[in-house]
Amino acid sequence: MSGKRLIPVQCGLSDVAGVSRRGFLGGTAVGVGGALAADMRAVNGLRAEEIAGELRRGEKHVILLWLAGGASQLETWDPKPGVKTGGPFAAIPTNVAGIQVSELLPKLAQRMHLTAVIRSLNTKIADHGRGADLVERGRLDDPGLRYPDLGAVVAKELGRLESTVPDYVSLYTSTEGRRKGTSGFLGARYAPLFLAENMAPPNTGLHERLTAAEHQDRAALRDLLSKRFTAEHRGSTVGSLNSAYQRVQGMMASAGLFNIEQEPAEVRARYGPTQFGEQCLIARRLVEAGVPFVKVARAWWDSHGQNFETHLELCADLDHCMSVLLDDLQERGLLEKTLVITLGEFGRTPGINASLGRDHFASAWSCSLSGLGIRGGVVHGATDAEGHTVVDGEASAGDLFATILQAVGIDHTHEYMVGSRPTPLADFGSKPIRSVLV
Amino acid sequence: MRMNDEPVAAMPAATTPATPQDAAAAAAVPFVPSKVSIDRTVRLPSMTFCLARHVPSGRVFCGGADFGLHSFDPAAEKPETRPLSEVRHSSYVTGVVNAAGTLISGGYDRSLIWWNAETGEQLRKVEGAHDRWIRSLAVSPDGLRLATVADDMRTKIWDTQSGACLLTLDGYDLQTPHGFPSMLYAVCFSADGRRLATGNKTGKVLIRDVATGEIQQTIETPVMYTWDPKARRHSIGGIRSLAFSGDGSLLAVGGMGQVGNIDHLEGKSRIEVFRLPTGERVHEIEDSKYKGLVEKLQFSGDQKWLLAAGGDNGGFLSAWSLETGKLLAQEKLGNHLHAFEMLSDRTLVTVGHDQASHVTLSAG
Repeated sequence: MSGKRLIPVQCGLSDVAGVSRRGFLGGTAVGVGGALAADMRAVNGLRAEEIAGELRRGEKHVILLWLAGGASQLETWDPKPGVKTGGPFAAIPTNVAGIQVSELLPKLAQRMHLTAVIRSLNTKIADHGRGADLVERGRLDDPGLRYPDLGAVVAKELGRLESTVPDYVSLYTSTEGRRKGTSGFLGARYAPLFLAENMAPPNTGLHERLTAAEHQDRAALRDLLSKRFTAEHRGSTVGSLNSAYQRVQGMMASAGLFNIEQEPAEVRARYGPTQFGEQCLIARRLVEAGVPFVKVARAWWDSHGQNFETHLELCADLDHCMSVLLDDLQERGLLEKTLVITLGEFGRTPGINASLGRDHFASAWSCSLSGLGIRGGVVHGATDAEGHTVVDGEASAGDLFATILQAVGIDHTHEYMVGSRPTPLADFGSKPIRSVLV
Repeated sequence: MRMNDEPVAAMPAATTPATPQDAAAAAAVPFVPSKVSIDRTVRLPSMTFCLARHVPSGRVFCGGADFGLHSFDPAAEKPETRPLSEVRHSSYVTGVVNAAGTLISGGYDRSLIWWNAETGEQLRKVEGAHDRWIRSLAVSPDGLRLATVADDMRTKIWDTQSGACLLTLDGYDLQTPHGFPSMLYAVCFSADGRRLATGNKTGKVLIRDVATGEIQQTIETPVMYTWDPKARRHSIGGIRSLAFSGDGSLLAVGGMGQVGNIDHLEGKSRIEVFRLPTGERVHEIEDSKYKGLVEKLQFSGDQKWLLAAGGDNGGFLSAWSLETGKLLAQEKLGNHLHAFEMLSDRTLVTVGHDQASHVTLSAG
């Protein structure tokens, strides 16, 4: 059983000892019921002897900067100046000898020692939906089996049972290409806390007619009743309910993490005025508080028209915000515990269309990895002179998924038992890209 | 270096009359185009963004994505392109003008290069003419002044003879109201050479005195700024073209209207025409048939109509009545058009994504 984790496919909370979930919850947790139910279901699935193993290494985090719509590799990590497909931008040296990036990333160029670039992704699928499915999950779903995305896997593997903060937060406030993320067969327990309309979770404040003291009194009463109930009704489900309540209370207590007004003005100014900057700051606050996985989606890079104008805008945003994020994490001692990824569903065509745009392209594109577990100042793989094909170090979505897991200390070969089906964390045959790993 | 015999390209009100009777008839019935015809096309070596006419050689010179300048004879039955020089810019060439016989080019490499159009010799190079991409060049009607605009959001006025920068003019914010880099796309001189108009990404036009740089007038065209605050959170529009009427009483501003999906140039092509100096907007033209950016504008000599070129993926050339604001003539023209130059009162050459076209305007 070593290396295998049991995941009951259908592990919804059933009535236990004659007490229904809804009856147990009564009228509490209004507005957080979904999250609570999500917590309970998967926690219920954990066998008692696994709990000790689930007390994680902790203190490891991933921030995924999701470049939604597909950023151009030629305007970011794999510039080709001077060739027909190269576009107008120059390549600039970085602070690592021999590595150049687009001139649109001058600040990140000075932080190249922190970053590994993979220039040889060939993920083959160049439509938004399926491309994102593939890249986010490292594979496409099988019939009857929906795989968890990276955030859910990291949440499960690095989240701590006793944690009072969410395990997986996803910020996607633009509407185009909005994707919630999926925990697949891991169940709702590892689904993201998804923030789409606002940058803070809704319904986490106290009811307007409830004071903090009354809230604490209610929690104490619930705890008392719970202990009495537990004494009379033994079972892992009861424990999971308590855990779920703790998490809900933690969620309410952690709502302030999303409030960047609590940061000093100079810190907010450092991240800048854009929404992406504000969300990167939230990501740092969440990581600092112990959240294992934060996804910040920066839409929308789908530059079928005016690719260069689009990248002038969006790369400036990425360059500044990610540079500040890396610096901030490093200054707080968090970068060695946090993997920062830039990734989208695909890259963009080397060919430039008549609207001065680049179209979808998944055959030879790039991503970056910085921080935890990553050998900085490294470029893996290469594309041909005009960027049409990978000529060295080809990597699949599965390989990238495995690489990310390995970087944060998760053995990608471990298997979940989905019912009776062994399912590796990364797709069968996936191989981590060792050259970018420490 | 100046060649005084070179006429500034313009569109007379009518065809050149052969006899006094023709002249009288022409005066009585001004030319109003109702048809756009493509006479021939020539494949260009790369995406092409700009062109300048050189009368002595009969050739036009264009610049683009291969960083160099090329020329061809638009009157030839089968025009062939040839490079001006092996020397090139180090990024896209976005502007070329004929300054009294001398070509001056500028581009995203932030440099300006003076060229001998006959020999291809590089006469002068100003590195770092701007701190960011040079977006456009314009030359005064007398050929003595060059104006450049760039993404450092500065306008510079140069002496075309000495290469000296005479004025460096601010007046635009470096960033958009939403915190992103702004861009300064368009520039043009008035016909008397005394005024200069510039237009930026957020739709702000500044009209200045060329001699002093003083801002005489500010005109806002906010619709040209296609900021998408919710779905995609960026923008792709901006003022891409400007033109004064011959008497300086009108200013045309070209760009794109509001767009639902800024992944593509799907907005209606848009022109706003203002009366000067009142700033009254006399026309607001949006074309629902041919979408995309208006990249080039030019008034007819009699100021009765306005020629506009641009496009999304496809290109268009359109003539609009300045009396009614209605469409007079229009034609789809290959791929996205970036520029045109008048060859005569009714013929012109256009350049676009990868081809040039010889085009004739005719009345019905």
